[in-house]
Amino acid sequence: MNSTWNYILRRILYLIPVLLGVCFLIFVLFNVVAGDPTGILLGKHASASQMAELREQLGLNKPMFMQYLDVVKSAFTFDFGRSWATKQQISSMLAQGAIPSLSVTLPGFFLATVVSVLLSTVVAYFRGKGIDLFIRILTIGMMSISSLVYIMVFQWLFAFKLGWFEISGYEYSFPEVMPYITLPIIIWIVLSLGPDVRFYRTLILDEMYQDYVRTARAKGVSEKMILLKHVLRNAMIPILTYTVVQLPFLLLGSILLESFFSIPGLGNMVINALNSSDFPVLKAITVLSAVAYIIFTLVQDVLYTVVDPRVKLK
Amino acid sequence: MLRTIFSLAIAVLAFSACTKNRDLNEKVLHITVENKVKGMDPINTGDTYSSNEVARVYEGLLQYHYLKRPYELRPNLAAEMPTVSDDGLTYTFKLKQGVLFHDNKCFEGGKGREMVAEDVVYSIKRLADARNNAIGWWLLDEKIVGLNEWREKQKAAAKTDYDAEVEGIKALDKHTVQFKLREKSPQFMYSLAMSYTMVTPREAVEFYGKEFLNNPVGTGPFMTGTYTQSTKIVYVKNPKYRKEFYPSEGMKEDQEKGLLKDAGKTIPLVEKIIVYIQPESQPRWLSFEKGKTDFLAIPKDNFETVVTPSKGITDTYAKKGISLEINPDLDITYIAFNHEDALFKNNIKLKRAMSLAYNTAKSNELFYNERGILAQTPIPPGIQGYDKEYQNPWMKFDIEQAKKLLAEAGYPGGKGLPTIKYDTTASTVSRQMGEFFKKQMSQIGINVEVITNTWPQLTEKVHKRQTQTFGMAWVGDYPDAENFLQLLYGPNSSPGPNGSNYNNADFNKLFEKATKMQPSPERTKFYSEMAQKYSEDVPWILGVHRTSFVVRHAWLKNYKFSTFNYGNSKYWDVDLEEKKKTLDKL
Repeated sequence: MNSTWNYILRRILYLIPVLLGVCFLIFVLFNVVAGDPTGILLGKHASASQMAELREQLGLNKPMFMQYLDVVKSAFTFDFGRSWATKQQISSMLAQGAIPSLSVTLPGFFLATVVSVLLSTVVAYFRGKGIDLFIRILTIGMMSISSLVYIMVFQWLFAFKLGWFEISGYEYSFPEVMPYITLPIIIWIVLSLGPDVRFYRTLILDEMYQDYVRTARAKGVSEKMILLKHVLRNAMIPILTYTVVQLPFLLLGSILLESFFSIPGLGNMVINALNSSDFPVLKAITVLSAVAYIIFTLVQDVLYTVVDPRVKLK
Repeated sequence: MLRTIFSLAIAVLAFSACTKNRDLNEKVLHITVENKVKGMDPINTGDTYSSNEVARVYEGLLQYHYLKRPYELRPNLAAEMPTVSDDGLTYTFKLKQGVLFHDNKCFEGGKGREMVAEDVVYSIKRLADARNNAIGWWLLDEKIVGLNEWREKQKAAAKTDYDAEVEGIKALDKHTVQFKLREKSPQFMYSLAMSYTMVTPREAVEFYGKEFLNNPVGTGPFMTGTYTQSTKIVYVKNPKYRKEFYPSEGMKEDQEKGLLKDAGKTIPLVEKIIVYIQPESQPRWLSFEKGKTDFLAIPKDNFETVVTPSKGITDTYAKKGISLEINPDLDITYIAFNHEDALFKNNIKLKRAMSLAYNTAKSNELFYNERGILAQTPIPPGIQGYDKEYQNPWMKFDIEQAKKLLAEAGYPGGKGLPTIKYDTTASTVSRQMGEFFKKQMSQIGINVEVITNTWPQLTEKVHKRQTQTFGMAWVGDYPDAENFLQLLYGPNSSPGPNGSNYNNADFNKLFEKATKMQPSPERTKFYSEMAQKYSEDVPWILGVHRTSFVVRHAWLKNYKFSTFNYGNSKYWDVDLEEKKKTLDKL
């Protein structure tokens, strides 16, 4: 147990050099390579003198090293200040945007994973048979269609024509939010099914040709039992790897879904920040994504030990 | 397991299917906008969307007459139009008495106090305060006596002293405010109808500090709570709004359209406004068609299904009670030549050749559904100085003449001419426009390289004078030709609004003279002649003046299009009986 805690502590300490590296990349991208944001921030009537004043206020005239220190400070304190474009507190923007984003992506991701694992287990069980062929063709077909087509057709059909859901919008309370998020969640699931089912099917089939499966068969264990008790359990490690690394990105939402369904999430925020040279917002998003990525890979490692007791964290 | 999943799915669908019933017992306006609102601080409303939202809550001294065209200023918080001194430099405003700010916890006892002259002075100083770095500062920069000096002095101080006097803005008494200008500027009056100068109470700014932008406290007809960066904003009627009335005068056609039926009625006419932020055109259109929003500017992709070739509304939509409003927008699109670039600096023949080779009519058909009016000068229709009879000789599409001029410019068949760079944004339509420009120029042997940029990149390139040619549009800030002609004024060169860096000494002199002239037939003629003469110098390849096509449902009453839409929702009404009837047809 001690070794596990040591491992976790060590991985948390790794955050420091990683964050410093991320800060350096952010600094180079936004403070060195990117241009002068003051023109876009001051609008079409920007004057040279007002641009100079704003540069001073934003700290863009400071020596480069000081600017780098500012980036490091904000990354380690999580105090990203205010947005340059909207003048809103970035922490409030993130808090206000994270909930709508997660309200779509989290259930979408969870349901898509459950459905995909179930479907891929079924097709693996019936490998080479009609149902396997049908689902493989179906998933390839689903993947061949642009996500924009799903969004536009589903919105038109289910929200506009049939009136089952709201066309767009968002409510912060439950169950009022349901008519707004159900259709985006369904679209998320549909979009994920194609690649997920194909990937999980390959993972499960890989396991099905292992020696321990042959041994189990030799012992007379039924195919169903082999699949559910042995194969699925062993396939969980790559499945976990695949799913857990995606979790941090769920926070960023889906830009297209948020845009079409007017969900006030972080995906839209990133686009707006890019269009308005809102560097503090972009820096905040980049740092948080990096931190979330590191934390979730740590969670992933710990989960390995739960799924497979042979795995030891050292 | 399967049963549980099935039951869960049914429950979710049942929850979801409870789409909201439309509220048909209360007069509610449902409005859609394309862009997120940055915040509710008047001094930073640099875009149309934010200005419109701010103007539901805040008010300025002046406003545009709702019905009259050309646009005409009339009092808002001012009791009457100002008295102007003989030298045209001093403007004295009497304020309406008994105008109250919204009830808010920033005031003593939470009760909104009376708006007074000091509030106007404070609001103008806030706009000038360099610490606020207000987007709207350009409006008053170098305009008011002592204001620039005050700004510089406060910049150097540890803290802004709003009590320090400015010679050019004074509260003469509780209800009188006076402005002294450095030099004559008839355009100054327009400043006072813009959102930047709307009146804010000092208590609110000090109480909320940096969060003031999310806690609007104005005198306007509607109020909203704390603003959040959501995709919906809800306003309720201000119960303490002063007695204001729907206008009794308008244009001849307003009578016919029923826009004067509510003449003399107390405004606002609705109880609530809900604004939906919908960035994509499909949900905007579907929401309108479903009756969830009251009116909409027709998205490009829906244009042909809604509008007939003769610019009427198709039967399908007419049967649903939807009507169409067509109005020119005060704007212009153009392709600018960078006159700092050696190629275009003194080469009028090259510019004219390129202008003649560009088929603006075709571009209007391809990109604007033929909705635009082909521009002949920078001045758009609807403001003084626009001459609909004038035809710019370099705006006709004439390949043969273009080739001849190109040869005279020293590049026969384009030989010897380097590839010309055209900068634009990366949006699909902008890229298509770039390809169209490239194709047009290839007809006379000119090679064009289309460079796509993000909007910040393009802005920076223009500011740093690093472009050769670039596509741009300008939407008027106020209805005066000066706002368009200033785009060619030399001292406004990059990073100012004159991105083409056109700098003609004669034009500059005439422009300076024109901006000091009071509105008159003489000034109109002056504007017109000036615009025509220098458009023939081809500083830009002129594009179109865009036209707004708006559809509205039958239940929305008193809707009249305005480029300067600030605060107009107070005149709009919802006919609930009509709405109940119409919704069944949708």
